[in-house]
Amino acid sequence: MKSKVALKPKDSSIRSRHSSTNILQEDKRRLIRYDRKAESEFFVDNSALAGFAGERILYMSVRELIENSLDSCETNRILPSISVSLKLIDPINDMWCISCTDNGVGIPAEKVPAAVCSFLTSGKYVEKQQRGLFGVGLKMIAAFSSKDTDHPLRVWSKSPDEGTEYYFELRTDIGTNKPITLIKKALKETESSMRGECGFKIEAILRARLSPITKNKIYDYINQTSVVNPYSHLVFETDEGKVVFNRNTEILPKPAIEVLPHPADMDLKTLKKAIINFMNQKTTLQGVLCNRFQKLSSDKAREIIGLAGIETKPADKYDEHELIRVVNICKQTKFQAPNTDHLSPIGEEILTAGMTSENVIVTRKDPNPTEQSRAQLSLKALKPALTAYSSKSGIINNRPTIVECGIAYGGDINSFKLYRFANKIPLLYDEGSDVAREVMTEVEINKMGISKKEVKEQFSNQESKSDRAIELLPIHIFFHICSTKIPYKTAGKESIASEPELKKYMKSCLTDLYRKVSAQIRRELRVKEAENRLRLYNHYIPLIINAISGSIRINSKSLYDTFSKLAEKHINGEMSDNHAFKKIISTPNTTESKGLTMLEGEGLERNPDFINKNIKGTKASSKNKVKYESNKRRSKKKVLTNDQITMDSFNKSKRKEK
Amino acid sequence: MTAKDRRHQQVIKKIRQIMTDINNEIMTYQRMPVLVVPKIGYDNTVWSDEKKVLTIGTKTVQISPDSTKKIPTFAQYLVMANAIRQLLDEEMESTIRGMYYATLSTVGDEKNKQKFWNSQENSDDAIKALELLTGVPREEFSVTSKPKGMLSGPITLRVGGDLIDCNLGSRATSQLIPTNVRDLEIVEVKADFVMVVEKDTVLNNIRKSGFMQKYNAILMTGSGEPDRATRMMVKTLNEEWKKPVVIFADADPWGLGIALRYKIGSESLSYDSERLVTPNAQVLGMMFSDIYNYSIPEVARLAATEEDINRAFDMKKKPWLQEKQWQKELDLFLQNKEKCELDAFFKHGFKYLAENDLPQKLRESGLI
Repeated sequence: MKSKVALKPKDSSIRSRHSSTNILQEDKRRLIRYDRKAESEFFVDNSALAGFAGERILYMSVRELIENSLDSCETNRILPSISVSLKLIDPINDMWCISCTDNGVGIPAEKVPAAVCSFLTSGKYVEKQQRGLFGVGLKMIAAFSSKDTDHPLRVWSKSPDEGTEYYFELRTDIGTNKPITLIKKALKETESSMRGECGFKIEAILRARLSPITKNKIYDYINQTSVVNPYSHLVFETDEGKVVFNRNTEILPKPAIEVLPHPADMDLKTLKKAIINFMNQKTTLQGVLCNRFQKLSSDKAREIIGLAGIETKPADKYDEHELIRVVNICKQTKFQAPNTDHLSPIGEEILTAGMTSENVIVTRKDPNPTEQSRAQLSLKALKPALTAYSSKSGIINNRPTIVECGIAYGGDINSFKLYRFANKIPLLYDEGSDVAREVMTEVEINKMGISKKEVKEQFSNQESKSDRAIELLPIHIFFHICSTKIPYKTAGKESIASEPELKKYMKSCLTDLYRKVSAQIRRELRVKEAENRLRLYNHYIPLIINAISGSIRINSKSLYDTFSKLAEKHINGEMSDNHAFKKIISTPNTTESKGLTMLEGEGLERNPDFINKNIKGTKASSKNKVKYESNKRRSKKKVLTNDQITMDSFNKSKRKEK
Repeated sequence: MTAKDRRHQQVIKKIRQIMTDINNEIMTYQRMPVLVVPKIGYDNTVWSDEKKVLTIGTKTVQISPDSTKKIPTFAQYLVMANAIRQLLDEEMESTIRGMYYATLSTVGDEKNKQKFWNSQENSDDAIKALELLTGVPREEFSVTSKPKGMLSGPITLRVGGDLIDCNLGSRATSQLIPTNVRDLEIVEVKADFVMVVEKDTVLNNIRKSGFMQKYNAILMTGSGEPDRATRMMVKTLNEEWKKPVVIFADADPWGLGIALRYKIGSESLSYDSERLVTPNAQVLGMMFSDIYNYSIPEVARLAATEEDINRAFDMKKKPWLQEKQWQKELDLFLQNKEKCELDAFFKHGFKYLAENDLPQKLRESGLI
C-alpha cells in the first residue's frame, strides 16, 4: 500500500500539479510514470476505503472519535466519561464543528502531531481486540478538515505520565503525510480544562451534509454504544439538544491483553518479524519459536525444526526457502487451541446492565413552534420486563472467537429490533445480508416455548410488515461477536459474512437463550393475551349493547356495567363450572320451516305459531340442557376446528362458482 | 295491517326475542350468553335417501363472547340482527352488499384499529346465521342479492305490479329473475317443459335458434352457480305448475355440481333445501360419455386440471352419486381426464346444439 502504480490519466493529472508539469507537453507519447503517493493523499483520494464517503462523513467522524475514546479509557481501566458535540456552525457552507472529550490516557505530547495527522502511525497495531484496527479514523478527520477548511484541528491532551495538559493547533500536509504544528503549548494549571489526571479532547471543523437518515443513524449509533458500554458516562449534544447517558454499572469488562501469534496462523511475514524482533547473537530458531509464539513448547519447537529438516544456526541466518518449510510444518501440526486473553467480551453483567437500562433518543417537536423552537432531544428508558444472556466461544479460522447474545423483552420496547456488534462496535448498515439475520430466521421461535400462531394472534397488527413471528414480538436481540479477525462481508465493515462455523455458534447461542426465556415469555404472552382479550371486550361490548338497545328497550348503562364486569371476571378465570351455559335459541327444525313458498303467502300463516312454539320449547327444555351444555363446552376446541374447516370448504366452493 | 307488514312484524319480534334472551342472560343470570347456530357445510350435510335431497344435520356451533375468537362473531350477529330490524322497521329493502355497507364500521382505538367485517363474505355469513337463528329465509328480511338468473319462453310473470310476457317475440333478450321472490308471481305458463342450462351464453344461442317456439319450452339459466330465486323458480314450475324440468350443464365436475344444485341441493344451503331443491328435475347432459358419443373433436376438449380430478374423486364418494349411471360417468372422466363445455358443440355448427344434440337428448328421455 505504500506505493501506487499510476495508470489512470486522472491520477497523472492530479500529480502534475505538484511534480514537474513539462513532461506531458514535451513528449506527446504518454509515458506511464511510476510515482510514490503519500499515505495521506492515498486515503483522501480513496476515502471510501475507510468509510468516509459523502453522506457518511459526520457519522464516521462521530463513530471514530467515540471508539478512540473508549479504547483509550479501557487501556488503563478508566471508567469512561465521554462528551461528544456536533453542531452546524455555518449553514451556507455546510460547516460543522465536531468535538469529543474523554478522560482516557491521552497521547504523550511529542507523539500528538503524528498520532493525529500521520496515516499509518498508530498504537493500534497489536494482536488484541480493539474497536479500531487501522488507526485511520482520527487521521481522516484531520485530513478532511485540512482539505476542506482553513481551520486548524484543535487538540488538548494530558497523558498520565506527563501530568501536564498540552494544547495543539494542527493541520495535515496531505501531500507528504506530515503534521504541521501551528501551535503547541503546555497549559498552566489555571488554563487547564481537564480535571482528572489524564484526558484528550479534539475539535475539528468539517464540511459535510447531514441528511435526516444519516442523522438518525448517528442517534442510533449513540444509543447502541450506550447499551454495550453501560459503564461509560456519555454526553451527546447537537443543535437539537443534549442527552446524557448515565453510567449504569461500575464494572469494566475484562481488558484485552496483547498476545503472541498462534503457530497455526504463522506465515513467512510473521516468522521473519518474530526473528528480527527477538534477535540477539545467540538466539536459535527454536528459541524464537517458543518465545514469540503461543502454545509452542521448547520440545515442540525442536520437533518442528526437526521435521522441517533444516540445520541449526543462528536464527537470522536462515533464508526464506528454509523458513517456508518451518511455516509449512506448522500448518500441518496440531496445536492447542489459541488462548483468548486478547479478547474482551462484554460479559453477562455488563450486557445485562446495558439492556436493562437501554434508552432511546427521542426527538420531540415543539407543540407551539416559534422561530427559535427546535426539535428537542430527550431520552426514553425502555425498562424491559426481562433480559437474558448467553455466550459461546470457539475457534473459527484459527482465531478464537466469542459469540455473545442477549435478549430484552417487553416493558416499553414496542417492536422487534436486531442489534449487531463486532468487537463492541455497533453495526448499523446492511442488516439484510448479515449472518445475524440468517441466524434469526433459522432458529425457530418454538424454541421459546411459544408457537408462531400464538405470536401472530397476540401481536400482529396492521403496522407489522413482516410475517416472521419473531419480528412481531416486542423484543430486542443483541449479537456481539469478538475476534481479532471478524469476517466482514465488505470493506465498509458493516455486515458479517455467513461463515458456517460462526453461524453454528450463533445459532446455538440463540437457541440456548430462547430456552432460557421460554417460561417467562410464555407468562408474558399470557398477560398479553388477557390484555388483548380485555381490549377486545372493550371494543366489542359497546357494539353489542348498541345492537341490543336498538332493538329492545333496556337500560344500556347497567347492561354495559354488568357485561363488562362479567367479561373481566371471565378473563380472570373466575368463571367456574357452576356457571353453566345456557342455550338461548335453538334452531327451528328445518322440516318444519317449510311453508314460505315463493308465490303464495299461505304457508306464512303457520309461521307465527311455529316460531312461538319453537322458542318456548327451547326455553322449557333449557334447564334440562344445562348440564349437557357445560359438558359440551369442554370439547369446545374440537368444535372450533370443525367450524373452521366448514367455513373454509364453504368459501372454497364459493370461489369455484363460475 | 297488511300481510306484508305482519310478516315484517313477525321477523322483528323474533329478533327482539333473541335480544331479550341475551339481555336476560347477562342481567338476570350473570353469565355469558350463547347463540347456538346449526353448522353449515359438508360435515353437517345429510343425504336423505327418501326425499333425494341434501338436508342439514344436527351439528351446531356455539357463538358466545366467552371465547376470544367468537367475540367479534357474536357482535357481528347482533349488529346484523339490529340492522335487519331497522331495515324492516323502515320498510326498506337492501341487497346483501347494502347490508355489508350499512353495518360497516371500525372497531378499536387508534392503536388497534380493525375492520368490523373483513370482507363482505363475513357479513353474508352473519345474514345466513340469522336465517338459521330466526328460522326465516333471507327474503323475509327484505335482503336480496343481485339478480343472476334469466328466463325466456311462454310464461307470464307479475313483477311488482307489472305483467311481463317472457315469450319475447324479438328473441333479443331474456327476463332477469328478480331475487326478491315476494315481488314475483307466476301468472300463466303455456310451455310444456322447462330447460335449465348452465350458462347464459348457451341460453342465448338456444333462444336465437328458435328452439323455444319449436318445442314450446321455457329456457332458464342461473348464470353459473344459481341463486336462490332461480332455484325456487325452477322448483315452483316443477311442483306447482307440474312442468317437467331438464338440466344441461358442462361436462366437467363443476358443471355436474351446478346441475345437482337444482336437483339435490348444496352443502352450503342444505338448511334451506325444502324451499330450493327440485328432486324431480332430470340431469340430461352434458355427460362425459357425450364427449365420445357425439364425437366432439379433440381440439374442442379440455384437459382436466388437478382440481377437477380431485373434485371428481370427491364426488365419487358422495352418497348421492352412488347410482350406477353417475359412477360410470365419473369413472369415464377419471380415466380420460378430459372435459368439455356445452359450447363445444358449436364446433359442429352454430345450430347443432339446439337442432341436433338437445332434441336427441330430449327424445331419449321421452320428453318430446
